[in-house]
Amino acid sequence: MKGLHLDGVCRQAGGRPLLENLELRVAEGECVALLGPSGCGKTTTLRVVAGLDPLSAGRVLLDGEDISGVDPALRRVGMVFQSYALYPHLSVADNLTLGLKIRGVPAAEREERLSRVLSLLRLQDLRPRRPAQLSGGQRQRVALGRALLRQPRIMLLDEPMSNLDAQLREELRPELRALLSGAGHPVLYVTHDQQEAMGLADRIAVLDQGRLQQVGDPRELHHNPANRFVASFLGRPAINLFPPLEGRQLAVRPEHLRVVSGGGLPARVVRAEWNGPQQVLWLDTAAGLLRLLWPASSAPPDTLRVDWDPEHTLAFEASGGDRLPRPDPAWNGDLIRFLQH
Amino acid sequence: MMRALLLAWSLGPLLWQLRTSFLLGEVLVGGGVPAGGSPWTLANYRLVLAGDPSLARVLLNSALLGGVTTALTLLLALPCAYGLHHLHGRPRAWISAGLVGAALFPTVLLFLSLLQLARWFGLANHLLALALPYTALSLPLAILLLRAAIADLPSELEDAARLDGLNALQRLRRIVAPLLAPAVASTGLLVFLASWNEYPIALTWLSRSDRLTLPAAMGRIASSSVFTIPYGPFAAATVLGSLPLLLLVLLFQRWIISGLTQGAVKG
Ligand SMILES: Nc1ncnc2c1ncn2[C@@H]1O[C@H](COP(=O)(O)OP(=O)(O)OP(=O)(O)O)[C@@H](O)[C@H]1O
Ligand SMILES: [Mg+2]
Repeated sequence: MKGLHLDGVCRQAGGRPLLENLELRVAEGECVALLGPSGCGKTTTLRVVAGLDPLSAGRVLLDGEDISGVDPALRRVGMVFQSYALYPHLSVADNLTLGLKIRGVPAAEREERLSRVLSLLRLQDLRPRRPAQLSGGQRQRVALGRALLRQPRIMLLDEPMSNLDAQLREELRPELRALLSGAGHPVLYVTHDQQEAMGLADRIAVLDQGRLQQVGDPRELHHNPANRFVASFLGRPAINLFPPLEGRQLAVRPEHLRVVSGGGLPARVVRAEWNGPQQVLWLDTAAGLLRLLWPASSAPPDTLRVDWDPEHTLAFEASGGDRLPRPDPAWNGDLIRFLQH
Repeated sequence: MMRALLLAWSLGPLLWQLRTSFLLGEVLVGGGVPAGGSPWTLANYRLVLAGDPSLARVLLNSALLGGVTTALTLLLALPCAYGLHHLHGRPRAWISAGLVGAALFPTVLLFLSLLQLARWFGLANHLLALALPYTALSLPLAILLLRAAIADLPSELEDAARLDGLNALQRLRRIVAPLLAPAVASTGLLVFLASWNEYPIALTWLSRSDRLTLPAAMGRIASSSVFTIPYGPFAAATVLGSLPLLLLVLLFQRWIISGLTQGAVKG
């Protein structure tokens, strides 16, 4: 089995579980994005793989070999830290090549690899500068360069583009993608940005409170979420959750709500957010605030009625949030009728 | 207003000494100015520089001893502090408590037993041998100060260095030590100062006049005459003795305030 395998990884610190029984496989050349709210354990996961944090149970396997006990210096992981962690007293060039120097790579080869990475990340002009003399985005690129230069067996990226402006991020995305998948090693990519995760990663792993919620390709997560957390965490504008009823909770994505002339739920438009390609309408209904997509060009009315195809309804357990089988259409109608009164 | 008071409070005695050092002895003890003459003189300086031992020699001794003590202390304290930082749990707590205890222990209580040691090992009147007890006495505080400074470095810097393949010694030398420069400079200054000012051990270990350190020599000047206190020469020696310290502080000032870790991490 080639690639990276987190086999039942647990990490405890301060008497609190930070990671619980994490089970994740990343194939060679595959990029898996770790997505989740702040504090859910994304950085911890990367640190465990890098060997910087100890695990309390489970194993980390690389190409079938257990590397849980291997010294981080020998694991050959490239990692971009969330805080960059550049050496402040060294120039950009020295920051990048320190590891190569330590490993005894000859000067000519160092130089060649350095200039390749520098030009890729458009950092040539910054070679002699110290980190303090760089902007946030430039620092981030240097950190990325340092990880790339290492020619690692695993690549770990902790929000490597969070400080770049939207344009540069979008520009770099295809290059980064080519770079990451071309090198043929497993990549774990932490991001807050769903767009980035969908654009860069082959699969997305959603993490919450140290527990893996679901792993799958973006489409699957979107259309077939494993639980309420995944459903509401993914997709913008966020999914509409109806009030729980009889132990379950129904949900419909904003793009699946449709405007009808008769029947359905009466709604009052309280706010319209224009975001370029379309607008998001916030509707006050008997089911609480709902979000609805509306064409960008036309002005929304003050009141309208909404409905949805029962086929698009997602049902969750009201208490635990686990996904339930799709309710039969009659139940859906019941809900609407119930809400109408 | 507060600042002016504070300044007067701390600089006043120094300036008074400076004035005293340039005054004639007769003026100092209340006699009048010799007729037609000026009260100012360089005689006090001439006296201490030409004395036995010459103050120049004494200052050289003190500087040499201070330099060796500082170098030795820092060389030992840095790896100790680094090691201590990487210990965890109970051992670290115990060692830290021990160091605090050692740092707080009054040196004066030790000088008799140290003298005994000096006798046994034949260290008396060897100037640089004094660096041994001085280093030993400065180490606890130096280790504690440097450890606090290491704890302030972003820990991810070392993590990054570990992934770069640096072992503990290489991390200390190439990452931690350079970033600690300001803390090392201020700790070194403290150690140097302590050595520069130390009296009881120097007094008991050194008797040959060409080996004396500044405090021991000052002691001699002060007790050289039973009947009059030589205010003038004493003040001159004080001024000369504080000049090198002033120089050191000015020299390292830039280091001490410059924030070297800037730009390491976000924000
Ligand atoms: N050494 C530690 N000891 C105790 N708790 C820790 C330790 N390191 C991290 N934690 C806790 O573990 C949780 C997960 O932290 P982690 O840094 O992995 O979050 P994250 O998903 O990367 O969040 P963010 O998106 O904000 O970076 C947090 O609640 C954090 O407080
Ligand atoms: Mg994080």
